[in-house]
Parts: sequence; structure tokens; C-alpha cells
Amino acid sequence: MRIFETTDQGSIEVEIGEDIAARHEALTRRNHELFQQRGIRAFDVAGSVGAGKTSLIAALVARLSSRLGVAVIAGDVATTYDAERVAGKGARKVLQINTGGMCHLDAKLVYRAVQQLPESGIEVLFIENVGNLICPAGFNLGGEARIVVTSASEGAHVIEKHPAMFQSADLVVLNKTDIAAAVQVDLDRPAADLAAIRPGLPVVRTNLLTGEGVEEVLRLLKLG
Amino acid sequence: MHEFSIASEIWSSVAKAAQEHGGGRVRAVKLELGVLNLLADEQITFWIEMLAEQSGSPGVAVRVTHLPARVKCKTCGHDGETPLPEGELDHYLPPPVACAACGSREVAVTGGREIRVVSAEVERAAT
Repeated sequence: MRIFETTDQGSIEVEIGEDIAARHEALTRRNHELFQQRGIRAFDVAGSVGAGKTSLIAALVARLSSRLGVAVIAGDVATTYDAERVAGKGARKVLQINTGGMCHLDAKLVYRAVQQLPESGIEVLFIENVGNLICPAGFNLGGEARIVVTSASEGAHVIEKHPAMFQSADLVVLNKTDIAAAVQVDLDRPAADLAAIRPGLPVVRTNLLTGEGVEEVLRLLKLG
Repeated sequence: MHEFSIASEIWSSVAKAAQEHGGGRVRAVKLELGVLNLLADEQITFWIEMLAEQSGSPGVAVRVTHLPARVKCKTCGHDGETPLPEGELDHYLPPPVACAACGSREVAVTGGREIRVVSAEVERAAT
């Protein structure tokens, strides 16, 4: 660290030269390495409040837990409802992170939570991000892939309004196919918008109340 | 609102440096922010001002310089700055990045995502 005299004798200029983005990237890499060391395939599940993130995770856990060691980290600003909903589906461990106001998870919070998982026997980890289509976009948690869940009730223009989030996705789940007609949304519209901003991005239409589409999600995640 | 968590990290870094250099009031903070960050300057500045005020440095000046997007093109090999499309850079709409030389979108982004805390102006402690 260097110090410069400023023209004003009453103060000094302290050189800091720290890149917060580089620090975040290092934390992302640390998570990635930790997952690799432990043989964990980690998936970040992001999306709006009420899109169906917890329902998707509960459905995936229910189908996987008989043959794989599955863990879930559920992130919310407050409460433990999400962890409670996933508990009982067969996961070896379900943890709740309360961010206490922070609008997204970051690599550091996830690293701390992973320390609380059993050291062996976890093969798949679902990390449920805070319900938000904006802030999590810039924070890579170090997992293998990001699943973004959106739903018919978020309107026809949800993709165009939140391009950064969908550009950061590796798989998009379009949920609530059953109510699309009732809320007058044609799901072909968000599907076409996704194809425009991210050609080739896999998209699965689901009705998580019945489990429609869940097998396809498993297949695309190579968990089928 | 994610600006708050970034501003907190920026301020921690500044506060630590100030503490190590006499612990005087921080008058100014210099930042370099890449244009591809999903950060709104106005909110970053606001939160740093708030955090500074709460820790004994009211009236801090936040000076932001923007760093350009840089790419390495997989199509033509161009390695350097690339201009962004004209218009307001809104943090909800990150602009598409393309190669300045050939227009290809098959590029690796090598710059423009920096969130660099360059320096802080710290008052000398009264002696």
C-alpha cells in the first residue's frame, strides 16, 4: 500500500487497489473446488418469489433421494418455511440460510453453509437463491449450473424485463403451465424471448403441482 | 439493492485502509467500475455515503471512473477494448458485447467487470 501527499496538507491519499469483483471470483472458484473435492454436483436455483423454486427442489429431491445423497441449502431473507417444505422428501441434510435483508446469496454465504453439510455422502446439492430476478444475476455461487425458474403468473414480458438473470441461466423452467390460460399468458412468448437472448438455452415447461416436466429437468441436468 | 452488499465490501476495504493510516475521517473514495457490472453508480454512491456517515465520515465524496469492456475474439483474434452500443447503460439491461473488429459475439470478456477500490483520501489525525 502506497501513500501519497495530497495538495491539502490536512489529508493523505491512501492507495488501496483492491478489486471486489476479483475477490468474488476467487470465492466462486473456492466453492467450485470445494464441490469438486467432495464430489458434489451443485445447482443454483434462482427465480422470482412464488415462481416455484421450492416446489421444483422438493420434486427433484423426492425423485433422487432413494439413489443419491442429496442436500439442500435454502436462502431467504427471513423464515424457515422453504427448508420445512423440502424436509421430509428424503434429503440427507436441509439447511436454511437467512440473509437478514440481503437480496441474493453470494459465494461466501454458500461456502459457510457447505461447511455444515456432512463431509461425505452428499452427491447432489440444490442451492435455493433468494426470490429475486435481478440481484442474484451478478453473483456466481460456484455450482455446476444455474436453473432459473419463472412462471406464467409473472406475465408475458418477464424475460425481456430481466435479461441479465436469464443470460446467467444454464436451464430455464417455465412453471405453472396449468394457469397460463387463466392469467392470459401465452408461454410461447417467454420461450421465444429466451431463444432470442440465449440461443440454444434449454427450456422446460412444468406444472410442479402434478410433476409434469420434472423428469425432463432431471434428464437435462444429467441426473435422470 | 445488490448495490448495498457491494458498497458494504467497498466501505470495509476503505475503512480498514483508513484505520491503518491514522484512523482519520475519510474525505473521498476513488472507484473504478467496469461498464459490464450490473451496478448502478447512483446507488453505489448513495450506500457508500450512508455507510461513511454512520462510521464517522459524513460528506464523503465518491469518485467513479468507468473502465471499458475488453474482449478476446474467438473468431478473428482481436484482443482489446470494445465499444458498447450507444445509449444509457441501464443496469437492468446489460448491453450485448461484440468484437470491435469483426462484430462476432463469440468473445471471451477480459475486462469491464472490475469493481476496483483505487484509493481513499484520509484526514491526518490531529497531533
